[in-house]
Order: sequence, then structure tokens, then C-alpha cells
Amino acid sequence: MPLKWRILTIIGLCLVSVFFLFPRNVTQRLRGSNGVLHDTTVRHVPLRRGLDLEGGTYLALEVDDSKQQIPADKKKDAIDRALKTVRTRMDGYGVSESVVQKQGDDRIVVQIPGEKDPERARSLVEQQAFLQFNITDKSGALERALPKLDQVVKQRGLAAATGADTSNKTGAQNKALQGLLTSGDTSKKVALGKTGKDSAKKDSAAAADSLKLQAGGAFSSLIQQGGMPGEFYVATTDVPTLDKFLADSAVRAALPPGKDMVPGTDSSSLQNKWYKAYYLVDHNPIITGDYLSNARPNQSPTDGTIVEFSLSNEGGRRFRNETGKHIGDYMAIILDGRVMGRPPVIQGAIGTRGQITMGGKGLSDAQDLALVLNAGALPVQLRVAETHSIGPSLGEDSINKGLRATLISVALVVVIMLVYYRFSGLLAVGGLALYVLYTLAALAGFDAVLTLPGIAGFVLSIGMAVDANVLIFERIREELDRGKTVRTAIDEGFRHAMPAIVDSNVSTILTAAVLYQYGTGPVKGFAVTLIAGIFASLVTSIFVVRTFYLLWLNRSRGAQTLSI
Amino acid sequence: MLRILHDTKYDFIKHWKTAAIGTIAFIVLGFILLGVHAARHNGEALNESVEFTGGTVVQLTFQNPPSADAVRGAVDQAGFAGSEVTTFGDSRNYLVKVQTLQGPGASNADSVGAHIAQLLRQRVPGNAVTVARAESVGSSVGSELKTRAITAILISFAVTLIYLAFRFEWRFGVAAIIASAHDILTTLAFLAMMRLEISLTVVAAILTVIGYSLNDTIIIFDRVRENLKKQRKESLYEVLNRSINETLPRSVLTHATVFAATLALLIFAGEVIRPFSWVMAFGVFTGTFSSIYVAGAILLWIEHKWPRAAATENKGTARALAEGRRREQPAASVGSR
Repeated sequence: MPLKWRILTIIGLCLVSVFFLFPRNVTQRLRGSNGVLHDTTVRHVPLRRGLDLEGGTYLALEVDDSKQQIPADKKKDAIDRALKTVRTRMDGYGVSESVVQKQGDDRIVVQIPGEKDPERARSLVEQQAFLQFNITDKSGALERALPKLDQVVKQRGLAAATGADTSNKTGAQNKALQGLLTSGDTSKKVALGKTGKDSAKKDSAAAADSLKLQAGGAFSSLIQQGGMPGEFYVATTDVPTLDKFLADSAVRAALPPGKDMVPGTDSSSLQNKWYKAYYLVDHNPIITGDYLSNARPNQSPTDGTIVEFSLSNEGGRRFRNETGKHIGDYMAIILDGRVMGRPPVIQGAIGTRGQITMGGKGLSDAQDLALVLNAGALPVQLRVAETHSIGPSLGEDSINKGLRATLISVALVVVIMLVYYRFSGLLAVGGLALYVLYTLAALAGFDAVLTLPGIAGFVLSIGMAVDANVLIFERIREELDRGKTVRTAIDEGFRHAMPAIVDSNVSTILTAAVLYQYGTGPVKGFAVTLIAGIFASLVTSIFVVRTFYLLWLNRSRGAQTLSI
Repeated sequence: MLRILHDTKYDFIKHWKTAAIGTIAFIVLGFILLGVHAARHNGEALNESVEFTGGTVVQLTFQNPPSADAVRGAVDQAGFAGSEVTTFGDSRNYLVKVQTLQGPGASNADSVGAHIAQLLRQRVPGNAVTVARAESVGSSVGSELKTRAITAILISFAVTLIYLAFRFEWRFGVAAIIASAHDILTTLAFLAMMRLEISLTVVAAILTVIGYSLNDTIIIFDRVRENLKKQRKESLYEVLNRSINETLPRSVLTHATVFAATLALLIFAGEVIRPFSWVMAFGVFTGTFSSIYVAGAILLWIEHKWPRAAATENKGTARALAEGRRREQPAASVGSR
């Protein structure tokens, strides 16, 4: 290649690099202090910073199959559909440059740079947001079913199991503390009898159970009538026990036919004791969130924070129909298996508009609820499999330290090269400057993400980048030792160093490619910088430095010595 | 022209026995330490990060150094007794490793961090505390990442072997791969000795060390390949020594620049990346060592076992080894010319 073309190529590469790295305007949608989204334009160098540098939240979501088994192909399909929903939600959430992408077949990764409230982000993506409207029971069906429920609980040994858990512990403690001094109290005997499969002890277990039944039964003793039909209060201390009962399939089957028992969101205090409300509702909803067309947060003077919603035309028609049939009934608004607030009474047929009261919660919660309702429900329950949140100060600290390490390592390498190779070292340093420019441009051009390990990789690659130069210079020295002229020595040096340079760099690229394929997040950033660095180092050491030599040879024709 | 180690004729290969004993002793010592660690830390031989074990880690940054008891107390009070509480870098930063994880999902690292920070604000009022970082990994993800890390190492092995077999003879590839395996073993021993935390970043560092060491091996093997083509009446033993000596200035200079860069990382790049920097710093040494004494020695051994057709015409390797022992140590030439 003629010298002119070489120089033009180098200048061209520099121009392209500067173009890639030129600061540009980026429009971001940000949520202001008043909670309103607005567009702002920021001007910055288009190098994307990873979460470990920028600060922010990383969430990996997977299908929650802890409650029910889901076959793999269904999971894949569910993830595809959930991806769209999560993406819509994040778009509405209003953070700049958030990333929602699929990882493998069964995971969704959400990255939110600069997020200061990771818990809020988590609930936003994790919430299934399955909305349904169910009529609460007015016929006292649960009261009638109580004896049967008590019996089922007893048969299934649910109450005994919970009782035995604690009494066994006390029993063991008693033994440890009192040793052989006492023959054991009665409660211990009963507890043992309950768990023991020994038939001789069965009667004492039965006796204990019948005692409980007399006191109202294991199930019925937990609940008491609430303030409206179909509402029941459960002491907050008893909630785990009741939830355990309700989780049992036999207990659920014993519930009045076509009815579900659903917990509420609100707790209330009665006579210094806290109670949680449960509702007996129809199993089939009169309508679901599928028909929702729009939801928005609002403040109401009477109900506090609310989310107003409107239904689609078809949904409105159904809703009007159904509510018309149920005038005077109570309607529970159920979101993800929890009754939101207290079910309101249906005054007359409701059309397309309604509202959800948020209880004591603030406007930001209402905003989030409106957002997830608008984005639609997730097809499956998702759970967070992995989360990383990095504070902004730690990220800034990492950038500063990484930058300092980079500058110092560059300085060290420059000194070593200049001291050892003098003029040729200077050419190598010139190549190194272009190397830094090209690498950064390649990262910007491929929209790669710069992470802390990425910076470390960059620092390392600066050290390694001069390796090609060193190989070439040593070869040139050898050729000069053999008495060749400067021009021939340079030619031969470059030619003979090539196989070693190519082989060693290709093997490093292969390793980096494997890292890119199997790495996640920061490690991927490391692999990308390494690969970009190797290519840039090949270009600069083989092509750019060679051109520098040719330029020098042209200017000082007939040079007898080379400072190397 | 400033020159170091120019035109040297050191007999590197002669010392292969001493080198082998040294490196085996190092590896054995490291693995004994791994056993000790395993006994001390409930079977966890390596100090794996939450990325691999699953669990939650929270980094707390204080305005002023708090007492370790206050931090531990707050962690216990928050219900995470038995967690690992350590300072991170300086005494203003604390790392809390919580193993509360039940089931496959990740626990909520953010609420864990917020909870501990809130309790600490009550315990040490006037000392501002922030959650600098909160990470949580589900056990299923952890074991998956572990599998991926191991797969990555194995695949990079396979890929390199194929490439080397393609570019060189198979014996070079095998020697290079054994040298890489040696690097992994010594690095593991080093990790055990330093009790460094193994994260994905450290695995990346190990892979980089392998790449770097291979790079070095290839530079020497490339010289060997070239010198063998010159058809001198030399045994592989002599060719290997000559090649190592010829590439010695390059080795010294490249290792110096890479080590300078690594040193800058180690000293200035901060605590988060420090385990990575340590592994890289160690890697410069083990990589250089293995290129000469593992890759070179194995190449000779393979040559001895399965001599090439061309090599049999020359002196046998066994004789070369014996000859090497008799040879005198040549004078070093260091200085500028």
C-alpha cells in the first residue's frame, strides 16, 4: 500500500473514531420531583456505563413455579408474553435507558440505571397485577360450613401438626432443663400423643382435640364475624395458621361450593388487638382486568388516594349487566389474590368507570398501581432470582479509581517504552495513543457497556497492546544485528514477528469470546473491552507504527542508524 | 541501544527438576490449605461469592469508622445472626453476607440492607450510614452461574487446543494445554493462600491469565517452530533453550509492562476489583513460569515418548537431557551496547 493511502487510512480511522466518540444529545424521559414525566436533553459522550459504574438496579426474573408445576415450553411462552408486559411497565415508569431483555429461555433481566428506590422497582416488575371483581357472600355460607371445616382440619392433622411443633420444642426444653427431676407435665404428654403414631397414645390425642372442638374448633376459633356480610376478622397473630389451613386442598374443598376465602389488605385495631380482614367471595369474577382500558391515580377528598379506571366498551357492557344483577351486594376488588380496601356496596348498575381506594397508601403507590394496571397483568407469577443494586456513590468511586489506575498504567508503560526503545518507543507511544482512541470508539460504536472489570480489562490490554510492538522491535534489533540496512531490518522485523503476533492474539480473542458467551453483566463488559482492545492493538502495532516508520524513512533517506 | 538480557545462553531447561518440585510443592501446599479452609468453613474450601453460593451481600458505608460490635449487633438484631460481617477495604466500609436464603428465589437484598441500615442509625446516631451495594442471588441461579463458569473454562480449553493443533503440531497444543491447567492449579493454590473471594470477575481473571500464559507459550513455541525449520543439527532441547533465550528480552519487557499495569490496578483501582487484580498480578508470574518450565518441559517429554520422524535423525531427546546436565552455565550479558 502506498504511503499516501496508509496515512489517509489512519486519518480516516481517527475521524470515524472521533465521530463515534463525539458528545451527542440524548433525550431522556425522567420523572420529576412532582412525579410527572418530562423529557430532558442531556449531552454526553456516547459510552454506556454499566450499572456497577452508574449505580442502579439489576433484576433477573423467572417464572415462579413454587406453587404449581409449569412445563418448560409453557414457561418459555409465558416469559415471552411477560417480557412485553414488563417492558411496557418500565417504559411507563420513566427512567432513562432502562433495559428489559430476555436471558436464555426462562429469564427476564431488567436493568435500571440510577434507580434510587430499588424496592419500588422490584415490586413494579414482580407484581402480577391480576385484577378481578368478585361479589362477596351474603348468605352466611361460611358460618354453615364451619363445623365441616373444623372436622377437616382435625382429620388432616393440621392443627395437631402446628401444635406439636411448638409443644415438642417445649417438651425438649423441659427435658433439657429439668432432666429426670420431673416426670413431665401433661401438656408434654398431649403433645407427644398428637405426633406419636403409637396407638396407645391416640386416646389422649383425641381428648386434646375434642377439648379444642368444644372451644370452637381449630378453624372456627380463629375467625370472627366482621363488620359486613362475608367479612371475617382474624387476629394478626393467627394469620399464618389460617393461611396454612387455607393452603390445604382438603380445607379448600370444604369451603362453601363456588366460594373462595381471600385476605384483605387492611388491618384494623379492635380492643388493643390487631385484626386482618378476610372475605368470602364468589369463585368466578364478574369481570377481570382484561377489560381495563385506562387507569390513572387521583386524590379524592372522601376516599384519599385512589386509582380511577375505565373499562373498554365490551367490558363496560358486561360490567353494567353484572352489577345490575347484584344491586345491594358488596363487590370485592381483588388484585393478585388480595382484596383492595373494603368492598363497596353496589348502589346501581356501574358502567365503564370505577375506582380502587388505596387505603392509607400514598400517591406514588397509586401511580405504580395505575401503571401496572395499564401495562396489563403478567401471564404468570414471576419471582426475582437475582438482584444487584449499586449506590451511585460507589459507582462514582469506581469510575474515579478506575480512571486513576488507567492513567497511571499508561504513564508507566510510556516510560518503559521510551526508556528502552527511545525513538522507536516514541513511535510505539504514538501508536498507543491511537490505540486508546480506537478502542474507545469501538466500544461506543458497538454500543458496548463499560463496566469496572471492563476498565480493568482496558488497563490490562494497554500493557498487552505494546507486546506486539515489543515483538516487532526485538525482531528489528535482531535483523540489525545481522548487519541488514535499516529499511530491510524494519521490513523483515515486521514480517517475521507476524506469525507470533497473530497466533498469540487469536488465542486471546478465542478466550475472550468464550467469556462473552458465558459471562453475564460485568464479565461480558470485560470480554468486550478485551476483544476491542486486541483488534485496536493489532491495527496500531502492525499498521500504524509501520506507517510511522515509513514516514520516518521517507523523511530521512539513507538513514544508517535507527534509534531502537 | 539499551539492551537487557541480550544474546544470552542460559540453560533454562536444565533446572526443570527444581522447577517441577517447586511448583508441585506450591500446588500441594495450596490444596492442603483448601482442605483446612473446608474443615473450618463448613465444607467451603474456596471463598465463593454469593454469585455462586446464593445469598445476600450488603455493603454499608459509614461516615466515620463504627465499632465492629455495633455493626454486628445491628445485623443480629435485624434477625441475621450468624452472618459474615467483615470490613471491606477500609474501616468505613462493612460487608455483610447473609445466608437466609430458602428455596430457589432471591431474598430481597434491598430490604435487608435498608433494615440493617435503619437499625444502625439508631445504634450509632450521628454516623451517617448508606447502603452502597445490595446484591442477592437465588441458589438456583448460583449453581447455574457456577456451572457456566466451569463450562466457560472447559470450552476455552477445547477451543484453544483446536486452534493450536491447527496452527502447530498436536504436541505443541497438548503442552500448551497442560501449561494452562498448571496455571489454573497454581492460581487456585494462590486463591487458597490469599483466601480471596471467588466471583465471576475472578473467574474472568483466571481465564485472562490462561490467555496471557498461552500467549507467552505461543511466542516461545513460534520461535521453536521457526528454529526447527532452519534444520540446524540441534536437538529439541537445544532448540528450546535457544528459543527461550532469543525471546527473553521480549518476555522481560512485555511482562514488565503488563505487571506495571496490574500493579496500577492493584494499588489504585479500589477494593471492588482487588481480587481480580491479585489474580492478574500472580498470573504474570505463573504464566511466565509455565511457558518455560511446564510447556517446554512437557514438549520435551512428549518428544522423548513419541519422537517425530525428523527428530529421530537428530540426537534423541533422552541424550539431550543428559547432555544438558553436563553443560556449563553460560555467562550472562546484561548491559547497553
